[in-house]
Amino acid sequence: MGVVLRRKRSLLKFPNQAHTNKTYRMKSVTRRSTIKLLSTLVVTAFALPIQAAPKKYPYSITTTVGMVNDIVQNVAGEKAKATAVMGAGVDPHLYKPTRDDVAAMIRADAVFYSGLMLEGKMADTLIKVGRSKPVFAVTELIDEKFLLEPEDMEGHADPHVWMDPSAWAKATQAVAQSLSKFDPGNAALYQKNSSDYAVKCLELHSYGKKVLATVPEESRVLISSHDAFNYFGRAFGLKVMGVQGLSTESEAGLKQINFLVDFIVENKVQAVFVESSVSSKNVKALIGGVKARGKDLKIGGELFSDAMGAAGTYEGTYLGMLDHNITLVARALGGEAPAKGHDGKLSHVK
Amino acid sequence: MLESLESWSWALDGWIIAAGALCAAASALLGPYLVLRKMSMMGDAISHAVLPGIAIAFLVTESRASLPMFIGAAIVGLLTAIFTEWIRRFGKVDEGASMGVVFTGLFALGLVLVVQAADKVDLDPGCVLYGAIELTPLDTTTVLGYDVPRVVITLGAVALLNLTCVLLFYKELKITSFDPALATTLGISSRLMHYLLMTLVAITAVASFEAVGNILVVAMLIVPAAAAYMLTDRLSVMIFLSVIIGIASAALGHLSAIMVPAIFGFGSTITAGMMALSAGVLFVVAALCGPRHGIIIKLIQRRRFAAKCLGAPH
Repeated sequence: MGVVLRRKRSLLKFPNQAHTNKTYRMKSVTRRSTIKLLSTLVVTAFALPIQAAPKKYPYSITTTVGMVNDIVQNVAGEKAKATAVMGAGVDPHLYKPTRDDVAAMIRADAVFYSGLMLEGKMADTLIKVGRSKPVFAVTELIDEKFLLEPEDMEGHADPHVWMDPSAWAKATQAVAQSLSKFDPGNAALYQKNSSDYAVKCLELHSYGKKVLATVPEESRVLISSHDAFNYFGRAFGLKVMGVQGLSTESEAGLKQINFLVDFIVENKVQAVFVESSVSSKNVKALIGGVKARGKDLKIGGELFSDAMGAAGTYEGTYLGMLDHNITLVARALGGEAPAKGHDGKLSHVK
Repeated sequence: MLESLESWSWALDGWIIAAGALCAAASALLGPYLVLRKMSMMGDAISHAVLPGIAIAFLVTESRASLPMFIGAAIVGLLTAIFTEWIRRFGKVDEGASMGVVFTGLFALGLVLVVQAADKVDLDPGCVLYGAIELTPLDTTTVLGYDVPRVVITLGAVALLNLTCVLLFYKELKITSFDPALATTLGISSRLMHYLLMTLVAITAVASFEAVGNILVVAMLIVPAAAAYMLTDRLSVMIFLSVIIGIASAALGHLSAIMVPAIFGFGSTITAGMMALSAGVLFVVAALCGPRHGIIIKLIQRRRFAAKCLGAPH
């Protein structure tokens, strides 16, 4: 957007954002609606000429990350086969597609990706693919009021929306609407599937709220490798801190490490967390720093941030991934949660 | 192994190879001069040095769109070339050392800028600048009624620019590469030629980063030229061979990206990496079998010489 419009932005805190260290501004409405308008234009621009319903069932959908793939598959049910190009443990910010991934995108009847720059430069190409087939950026279709934007970074919303199951329920509805546009004949089915799935998301959300409320109030701090858990913090009332910035390639500053070590020692934080798709080096530096001050700090476990667990396991589904994160955090921070999680299917949590 | 090629499609694989070959040709045209001037790592230096350009472009435009990122990177790419020459001249150090000073300095500046100013957004070259060669066929524009990938047009233009400059200034570039002092007495400014070459390298590198990622251009600026260096002592032949080796490694690389993982039952792997690897393999072959500097021929010559000295019957 060439012209950056300057306007007054209201400084609001999210209602249930109990005490996160960062003040998030609500989206500047005009800016967001410009983006929204643009994306709608883009969507309609390519959705209109190619509104023809799929030629055969199940039609094929290619997606980028597992979290998107999971909701697309759940909404589409048996009408489509969704395939994700990024597997378990992959960092989507830096992912480079292979030739087979591109072949899959060319073959697919529709493409879904997460959006908000999660896929980095690949998104540019996906938008171009949109000229010849329906392409949808899931998080960019959600109502802007569910998105978080870091302070003084307007227009660069945090892409890790799936960390808040209630927001991901909205994403599910966005997927249903997109699929209905593509295949109007089954709109009712997609709507029903998405409502069913949204109910599960909301159940998980209330489970999360319940178990994380059992964590002593002063311990409700989630410290992890990089800034991927802001939505998680908002959803469940945790203070969230990352050792490195949002970019997984940026280095942790010494000042930030020292600040966190001070914070951990002062607030008697018991555990910090590593992530499945990011190196644990920085978190280990934190532990070293805290040990040097004579306190004990343990690694609470490995959270799934930008990628889900191995395919075929419960943690390899979106609900399982979030269940894992919620249960692990609650137990490591001294709260009470069933070892097997919300659905009784978890295997990793100690 | 060959079954893996069943899904071969010219619209997909043909364009990927075309993009790789153009990037390889553009880089391999300049590579011989870099190798002769002991500046082979220029491509790598630029790939690190662009970080502050990206950070400043973000701070100015508040956007992570491709165009500002590209412009920022291109400007800093040119500055890298200029600073390198300044430091070499004023600091009286060789090219390698001055390149090292410049790119580490710029990279560090870039890191500081990113952490200080843009820590809350994902801003790194891997995310906002580097393209992927595999995505080439997806982004097309219509030229004369044909759907041609944008990347192929960009890289084609860069290759053409490099070819024109190398043809026009062949003599000047040659003499300044081998004997700058003589060039100056003949009235050819070796400094001007240096800046011309560095500008071309910077344009090629940044255009390729945006189009096909960093690994390919860094490799193609060095490896084909080094392989050609093993095969000939004439500059014109060296440039020609360098381009041929570059194009061959592009084709070979994409084929092996599809076929080699298939042997172990995996899907295709990263094409750019395989292209760089193929260039490396071709280099090894050239180093072994070169007609004058090759390892095998040297070994035979040494044996013969030893036999001669010892007076053994031939």
